[in-house]
Amino acid sequence: MRTENIIAETVDLSIGYRTRNRVKIVMDHLTLEARKGELVALIGRNGTGKSTLLRTLVGLQPELGGRVRLQGMPLHAIGSSQLPRIVSFTSTEPVAVRNIRVRDVVALGRFPFTNWIGSLTPDDEEAVSEALEATGLLTLAERSIDNISDGERQRTLIARSLAQDTALLVMDEPTAFLDLPSRYSIVSLLRQLTRERGKCVIYSTHDLDTAINEADRIWLMTGEGIAEGAPEDLILTGTVARAFESPQLSFSSNTGTFSFIRKQQTGIALEGKGLATRLTERALNRCGYTRDPQASLKVTVNESREGTEWVVKRDTVTEHYRSIYDLVSCLAEASVQ
Amino acid sequence: MKGRSPRLTLTMAGLILLVALLFVADLLIGSTRMDAAEVLRSLFGNGTPGGEIIVTQFRLPKAITALIAGAAMSVSGLLMQTLFRNPLAGPDVLGVSSGAGLGVALTVLTLTPVFTLSAGSAMQGWGIILAAWAGAGAVMIIIMAVSARMRDIMTVLIIGLLLASAISAVVSLMQYFSNEAMLRTYVIWTMGNLGNISYPQIRALALSTAAGLIIAFLMVKPLNAMLLGETFSRTVGVRMKRTRAILLASASILAGSVTAFCGPLAFIGVAVPHIGRLIFGTTDHRTLMPGVALCGSAVLLLSDIISTMPGGGHIIPVNTVTSLTGIPVVLWIILGRNGIGRRF
Repeated sequence: MRTENIIAETVDLSIGYRTRNRVKIVMDHLTLEARKGELVALIGRNGTGKSTLLRTLVGLQPELGGRVRLQGMPLHAIGSSQLPRIVSFTSTEPVAVRNIRVRDVVALGRFPFTNWIGSLTPDDEEAVSEALEATGLLTLAERSIDNISDGERQRTLIARSLAQDTALLVMDEPTAFLDLPSRYSIVSLLRQLTRERGKCVIYSTHDLDTAINEADRIWLMTGEGIAEGAPEDLILTGTVARAFESPQLSFSSNTGTFSFIRKQQTGIALEGKGLATRLTERALNRCGYTRDPQASLKVTVNESREGTEWVVKRDTVTEHYRSIYDLVSCLAEASVQ
Repeated sequence: MKGRSPRLTLTMAGLILLVALLFVADLLIGSTRMDAAEVLRSLFGNGTPGGEIIVTQFRLPKAITALIAGAAMSVSGLLMQTLFRNPLAGPDVLGVSSGAGLGVALTVLTLTPVFTLSAGSAMQGWGIILAAWAGAGAVMIIIMAVSARMRDIMTVLIIGLLLASAISAVVSLMQYFSNEAMLRTYVIWTMGNLGNISYPQIRALALSTAAGLIIAFLMVKPLNAMLLGETFSRTVGVRMKRTRAILLASASILAGSVTAFCGPLAFIGVAVPHIGRLIFGTTDHRTLMPGVALCGSAVLLLSDIISTMPGGGHIIPVNTVTSLTGIPVVLWIILGRNGIGRRF
């Protein structure tokens, strides 16, 4: 193990809030690490303290016990002018101004490097252009932040972090409120930054699918504590299943996906091949049927040149349907009667 | 946030020219008809005695005051809008002018009888400025405490409104117990008056405004960061507590000094920063701050020219003019393209 590559680590850390007369500890005994070139996804249910952990990592909230080390240095020993050169943070806080250009937002990432009035040197200009290019925003650079999509706005904030030129990028829910393609494109951008630029990116998310598929390491927060490892490690030990399974939800370790638990399963025989049959099974599952070759109720999927046909045999009756929708709605009607 | 573009330089030069023209116009135009040659002669001491008094004792100090006060109120408004992340923030809207007014009222209506000064002499010099700063600062601190808890723009504005009402009630009570001369001094003050300001007062106003503007300009970098939010500012190394305190002091000095001598100038502080953003098309305080200062001077000089009702022989309070020009701008902010929202 090459310890010099550890960018961020926590040792027996306690996180939480300190108000005037009391300390509220959200979680303690956190011992975690993240290395150079790693994409780390912090997942966990709402209210487990994901934001608190991230804010503690970047020095926005006090360590209530134990310690955080960034690039081997204790967080509290890093000066306030040095810290912004080691770690950048993107919160869920919206940009409050209209009429600010994408390029200007990204340029503010150079804040720790510029003089008292904030003028950009040629070096700064280059860092800004490079950040815009890496995030695919060059063509939008002169647009106002109000005239771009949510995904592009999130990219702008990532570019701002990138312009700050830190080894560690911490992001609180960068994929929140984004549609599916934008979510994937943001996570693959983050992954690209770790691969091509050796950045260490720690991000929190509710998007378990993407995290399991793309992250190098997962920090999984549960009520009892935090589990750390490759996504597959956490699946193997059953940690993911334990953290997220509920009476309605079950986790399949084979596919790494969640599915609903159906009540009152009825047996149904299904005959056929190919995609049409697999999709028919999916629809039948949703309606409370499980596949059972011995069942008296039988569906046959016939594919011919004229199209697909579904044949239902119930006792002596035989019915023909032209779509999965017709099939399942008639089955549902029959079961009500 | 690029360096100076030719367009920017041109806009800035144009504004400077406009302010200069309006300044001259303010000297030339007044309630008494005088031709340009006579004004010039009076200005350089070769005019008729009556003309000299009008120009050097009335028109010139009034124009200088408009120049300074317009810039000070507008920059104060700009600082408050960024500080509170609120497009409708401004010295009068948040009750900061009222706070300064309370300081003035305390000095004029209360301290005067105690120290057996004449009401007029209490209006002189630094005493009243300090009182106005204290009053403005106190209101700013209250508003800041509220806005730390309430993120909602409207709540903060309503608190400002309540504070202003409470202060005006206290002032009314003080008026009830004061004599006629003091009352008149105070009531004239509330109408917003750029005239009747002596040269020593102008010097005090100029010095404190210069101090406020310099402090404000030293803060352009953190102000720009604050546009992207408090969390971002903190993570790039802005020391928020210190920055807030400095901005609060600067905004209070600017609004307080002007209010001390000119009365509560309505709507300049809220409206002009938006005019500046519109003209310069930027949110960068490095450009915006000098730009807004120039716009403020121009707007107040123009308001002053209008308030003398050229040639009509009457003068209406300048507050009436700034309200009538400022309110449409504020309405435009509220009803405009994106409504008031949470953005500006």
